Amino acid sequence: MRVAVGRDADIVTARQLGRELAAKAGFVGSDLTLIATAISEVARNIVSYADHGEIRLGLAERNGLRGLLVVAEDHGPGIIDIDQAMQDGFSTGKSLGLGLPGARRLMDEFEIASEPGKGTTVTMRKWCR
Amino acid sequence: MPVPILKQGSVLIASIQAALTDHDLLQLRDELAEKVGRFRSRGVIIDVTALDVMDSFATRTLRGIAATARLRGAQTVVVGVQPEVAIAIVQLGLTLQGVPTALDLEEGLDLLRRSMARDLPS
Amino acid sequence: MPFRMTEFAPSDIERRLEFVNLGSDDRTRIAAVQRDVLDHLDEHVAAFFDHLARFEEARGLTGRAELIEEARRLKREHLVAMVSGTYGREYIEQRFRLGQVYSRAALEVSIFMGAFHTLMASVGRRIMARYPKDPLAGFEHFTSLKKVAFFDIAIIVDAMMADREQTIRQQQEAIRELSTPTLQVRDQLLILPIIGVLDTQRAKQLTESLLRAIRSHRARVVVMDITGVATVDSKVANHLIQTVEAAALMGASVIVTGVSADVAQSLVTLGIDLGRITTLGDLQGGLEEAERILGYSVVRTTAIDAA
Repeated sequence: MRVAVGRDADIVTARQLGRELAAKAGFVGSDLTLIATAISEVARNIVSYADHGEIRLGLAERNGLRGLLVVAEDHGPGIIDIDQAMQDGFSTGKSLGLGLPGARRLMDEFEIASEPGKGTTVTMRKWCR
Repeated sequence: MPVPILKQGSVLIASIQAALTDHDLLQLRDELAEKVGRFRSRGVIIDVTALDVMDSFATRTLRGIAATARLRGAQTVVVGVQPEVAIAIVQLGLTLQGVPTALDLEEGLDLLRRSMARDLPS
Repeated sequence: MPFRMTEFAPSDIERRLEFVNLGSDDRTRIAAVQRDVLDHLDEHVAAFFDHLARFEEARGLTGRAELIEEARRLKREHLVAMVSGTYGREYIEQRFRLGQVYSRAALEVSIFMGAFHTLMASVGRRIMARYPKDPLAGFEHFTSLKKVAFFDIAIIVDAMMADREQTIRQQQEAIRELSTPTLQVRDQLLILPIIGVLDTQRAKQLTESLLRAIRSHRARVVVMDITGVATVDSKVANHLIQTVEAAALMGASVIVTGVSADVAQSLVTLGIDLGRITTLGDLQGGLEEAERILGYSVVRTTAIDAA
């Protein structure tokens, strides 16, 4: 499932689809909201910094565990210092702050690859318990 | 989709209906700022019962709305945060610090009344 | 592999048919022996259920009139569909339903397999009888049909297991609910005594049920007693802090009681700041503080004599 993300309305679309797919994967209760929120964060990132990109959603499976896979990809400016981005001003909420540290807190697995000038890809997974 | 804002005496009540886009939230912020000034409101209640997701942007914006309202002499109370949303906000590491919260509209109005009564010069 | 009906995508069905290697030759052969199966439906269905009737363990199905009636009907439809040549979504749904019926009747996979084999043996005899001079042809035809049979078994067993897993999950949920009861003592006041080990899973469940209780009881104060919590390490402390903060977002303040001197010390050592959270030594103190916050005062009037 792919969602093109370019305007702020797409953020809502992406997270609602994510919630639906997560429900199919077997997630219940607050996990659904956590997933929708994490998607909202990375989708917003795309809109704010890369102008447009794509969110791909899919079911994941490993060792009998079921879960959700979320990939957020853009071809925007990229992140120069990933370590800094992952901790910069997020909790204080003062700076604009990338939504990445927050998304990481909500998901079980979180990988980020970025190349300045080329773009950024965030891969996240959450497993059903 | 604009958020309806009701005026109940010196309190403005904004009831968020459905999934808000960033644009809608910012529009709400501007409208509330304008109305607080125009009506010289003493209190603002933002009802987020219908919000199924409150991410960092929403939380930041709500804090911003409260700050702006305070500058214009109004106390803001956020009501209706749903259990799952509360959990997500806390896990994100965010906070609505500085903004009082209450369970629902009724509790929110109660809270405002009590705090406005305290603020009245004796 | 999906184990819920909603997730059987066309590609999954395709894949499962590939797993049993069902080809066009097989379909031709199945069509050739279709009548042999359909002409003796009752015989085959009876074989299945007579086999089950021999076992005590199948009582859950054989002993219940309504269930067994439906099972017989479904089994009949099953056989008809098996030789139909079409194995799409509807076919899968049928198998799935059958699996669920067996699961609800507490039929074990092992017994099901035995009975199913007896059914296939009954079918096989009729097919072999059609090729008296050419047993190899009989075997080939039967083998083609068996591919579909195995395709079916896989789905039925998957459905049975999925159903069982769901029951187990529901039971676990119920147990968890029971072990973390919230008590409403007064209007707007909830007490939550936590007992036992507070792992991440339980903490999550506890937070969710507390918040829902706050909403339904319209509580403004919660007294959370952790006297009975086995160990309070940094993880547990974080769960507690998060619970308190989430409750605050819903307009409820939480008073944590039962923090022993030891626990307090270890929290300090761990560098955990329960700062914004009100903590009190015991439940009694917590209740009094809660009542104070809510504006209650407990006044003692003359005791009523039992006489």
